[in-house]
Amino acid sequence: MTMGVHEIEDAKLIFNFGYNGADSHPIVQRRIVRAKQKGATIICADPRVTECARIADVHMQLKGGTNIALVNAMCNVVYNEGLVDQKFIDEKTVDYDAFVEVIKKYTPEYAETICHVPAETIRKAARMYAKAPSAMILYGMGVCQFGQAVDVVKALGSLALMTGNYGKPASGIGPVRGQNNVQGACDMGALPNNYPGYQNVTKPEIQEKFEKAWGVKLSNKVGVPLTHVPQRVLEEKDPKKQLHAYYIFGEDPVQSDPDAEEVREALEKLDFVVVQDIFMNKTAEFADVILPGTSWNEHDGVYSCCDRGFQRIRKVLEPPKGVKLDWEIICEISTAMGYKMKYKNTEEIWNELIDLCPNFAGATYAKLEKYGNIQWPCRSKDDSDKGTVVLHQGKFANPDGKGKFYTADWRPPQELENEEYPLSLSTVREVGHYSVRTMTGNCRTLRNLEDEPGWIQMNPADCEKLGIKHGDLVKVVNKRGWCITRCNATERVAKGATYMTYQWWIGCCNELTIGSNLDPVSNTPEYKYCNCRVEKLDDQAKAWEYVNTEYKSIRERMGIKMVGKEAV
Amino acid sequence: MRQFVKGNPDLCIGCRTCMIGCVVEHEGRRIFEIDPDGYDFNPKLHVVKTAKVSVPVQCKHCENPACMAACPVGCIKVINDAVVIDQKECIGCKSCMQACPFGVIDVISQVGTSQSDGSKRVVANKCDLCVGTGNGPACVRVCPTEALKLVSEEAMQESVQKKRVATAEAAKAIADAMAD
Amino acid sequence: MALKQVQTTCAYCGAGCQIMFTVDTATNKIVNAVPAMGRTNQGTLCLKGHYGWDFINDPQILTKRITSPMIRKGGKGSRLEEVSWDEAIQYVADNLTKIKKKYGPDSIMCTGSARGPGNEANYIMQKFTRACIGTNNVDHCARV
Repeated sequence: MTMGVHEIEDAKLIFNFGYNGADSHPIVQRRIVRAKQKGATIICADPRVTECARIADVHMQLKGGTNIALVNAMCNVVYNEGLVDQKFIDEKTVDYDAFVEVIKKYTPEYAETICHVPAETIRKAARMYAKAPSAMILYGMGVCQFGQAVDVVKALGSLALMTGNYGKPASGIGPVRGQNNVQGACDMGALPNNYPGYQNVTKPEIQEKFEKAWGVKLSNKVGVPLTHVPQRVLEEKDPKKQLHAYYIFGEDPVQSDPDAEEVREALEKLDFVVVQDIFMNKTAEFADVILPGTSWNEHDGVYSCCDRGFQRIRKVLEPPKGVKLDWEIICEISTAMGYKMKYKNTEEIWNELIDLCPNFAGATYAKLEKYGNIQWPCRSKDDSDKGTVVLHQGKFANPDGKGKFYTADWRPPQELENEEYPLSLSTVREVGHYSVRTMTGNCRTLRNLEDEPGWIQMNPADCEKLGIKHGDLVKVVNKRGWCITRCNATERVAKGATYMTYQWWIGCCNELTIGSNLDPVSNTPEYKYCNCRVEKLDDQAKAWEYVNTEYKSIRERMGIKMVGKEAV
Repeated sequence: MRQFVKGNPDLCIGCRTCMIGCVVEHEGRRIFEIDPDGYDFNPKLHVVKTAKVSVPVQCKHCENPACMAACPVGCIKVINDAVVIDQKECIGCKSCMQACPFGVIDVISQVGTSQSDGSKRVVANKCDLCVGTGNGPACVRVCPTEALKLVSEEAMQESVQKKRVATAEAAKAIADAMAD
Repeated sequence: MALKQVQTTCAYCGAGCQIMFTVDTATNKIVNAVPAMGRTNQGTLCLKGHYGWDFINDPQILTKRITSPMIRKGGKGSRLEEVSWDEAIQYVADNLTKIKKKYGPDSIMCTGSARGPGNEANYIMQKFTRACIGTNNVDHCARV
């Protein structure tokens, strides 16, 4: 995020695009609610009536998979109605003319035919956004999880550029990142193209710096993105590009990645799979070796929150006997393989890495202790450098210091509805469960609130057509797979569209999601669009028996001993 | 005038933290330790979501409670100025449930209790303002967006007084307009 | 009962809320979790922050905590057997070395973790991948 979470409530206008804070980050949504209470205007673009859409001044309920048509149309209105910040464009940006050439075609009337938002609503939203004294864009997975995703991010960035909404408080553009430490994993260089601190692996001077620090020759070849793994295992013909071993650390791709069947096939075919985790999970079933690590609350360290804020995590409890600290396990394997790694504690690791990353260099443990939260860049160890709340102040991070305009023509999602599979399916979030649910599914009250087999959100008109009622078990199916879940009949979703959350073992929507349509830049899969068919199940009692038996059987496979009435 | 908890749909984000907070307050923190099937999960308020609204709904602690009048065994009582169901005496007849015009009473089965034939006891359940805990309503405390408020007599009087003043001023404005 | 308080960052989303845990050090159990005053959360928590910690005592509701290294000694599809840490570490090292020799470093893929482990463990994982194995094949579930 270019801004801080705490700034959201002071925004004059929030343009919330494909981001459902209420379910994915309630404490960020709290700031949006507060902004509204303080008089902010809220524009929401989302195919569902989310909590944000509900309190929005304008809700653009677009059809899934049409994001860029809508953004281009808003840019078109801003341009045609002369609502641009010409001074900002002239002084601080490049490539405006090429951008204008693309958006010219996207009149609100043309966009309406693609995204089903009335032209007048698009005009109203565009005017509101452009005329606001300062405006903040927040976006989420509803933008990122499409085959055309990075284009949309750049188009949203361009909307902010053409209206001069950068570098001032409560403005800019914020991807609100989902998982607790997804920002941190990126910061630390758990990326195939970057060393820690976003330093590119193909740059010779960077390579040299890390070779010197680590005392070993390094590769300058960009690595394989995680979402390419199934293809590199199952389809790759070039032996040099095939993957043979997979060391999976704190992830559960069988549950979380698209097209679960393909992931399972890949794990089966790999020569060697290591899983390092805290709980047994669906991926561990394919592991050749399982290494038990420590859990959150059992180790020290630093997380990066979604707005670049480094914060300490602390050991609250002693870990159970038999487990080891995650970094210790990896260091011991490395040492056994001939590359010695040994550290006393996380602070020693942290000190090594911040000295290799100019943007993190000033964020010492001592300062994190003192200030609680430091948003990088924080370059000086001096106490006076408390980090940076707002990015791109004065100039942009591009080499020429200028903001770059870009947008593209709309491409439809890869797999559209058809006669056999007439509905669209998108993954969404369940507020009380986290990620693959091995943690929250083992929490008593969170499990009480929501449990298997989850729900499929459907418009009541679609339910009526199929003769199904709210709460009925239904079968959801497409060419990749199927699952059984409950029908949630709700007017919050449009006709023809369905939504499921991805953490259920029985109501497992990733059996259906599509793994082959990745954004060409970010390699993010199109979780937000595939087709499906919902089938009525006439024998509900039998369907419930299937759900209960199957759930019990998976839990048994995970090592749960059935006691009491469950054992019967 | 009795206090009650009121939800504000402009602030509610539908997260249901209040529903868990309610159960934890009534069952006690022991539930985080005990057999996961050793307690019932019976929140005394419910978040309702429609196309237009998300908000928790719970008992209004009426001054003349219809539930109390409908209860044939007199197990709905006023304790510390809250309308409370004595679940030990409740016979599960559902009269209160039908009588309540707000739909905020449901019937629940209680774990660890049984009747003479061994079946679970089923009793009426509703908000009791966390009476007796000394902490005030848990839902109000845990809500991350301050969408729940305990409406006190003072707050009610203040709000009514404001409205009265506004009405009086409006009356004057209308009179002035008519005189013109 | 010996109580201590520890403040930490919530592990359930990118908001980065601060939680204050009260721990009974005698039993090594969390007694209570309350919101702390963090920059982003200002003394508030959602349901996962308030009530998402009892998994740590391994109540075995959904799945079971792993407390020993395990190897499928009989190869793919065989039973997982508990082994010592020394054996597990050596087994992983031997197999990765063998694959690296046979197919080259780019035939091995590693992941970081966007969840519980933290920044230092991610740094160590990418350093291991790059410096020890010799490939940039390291990524994480950022896109999930």
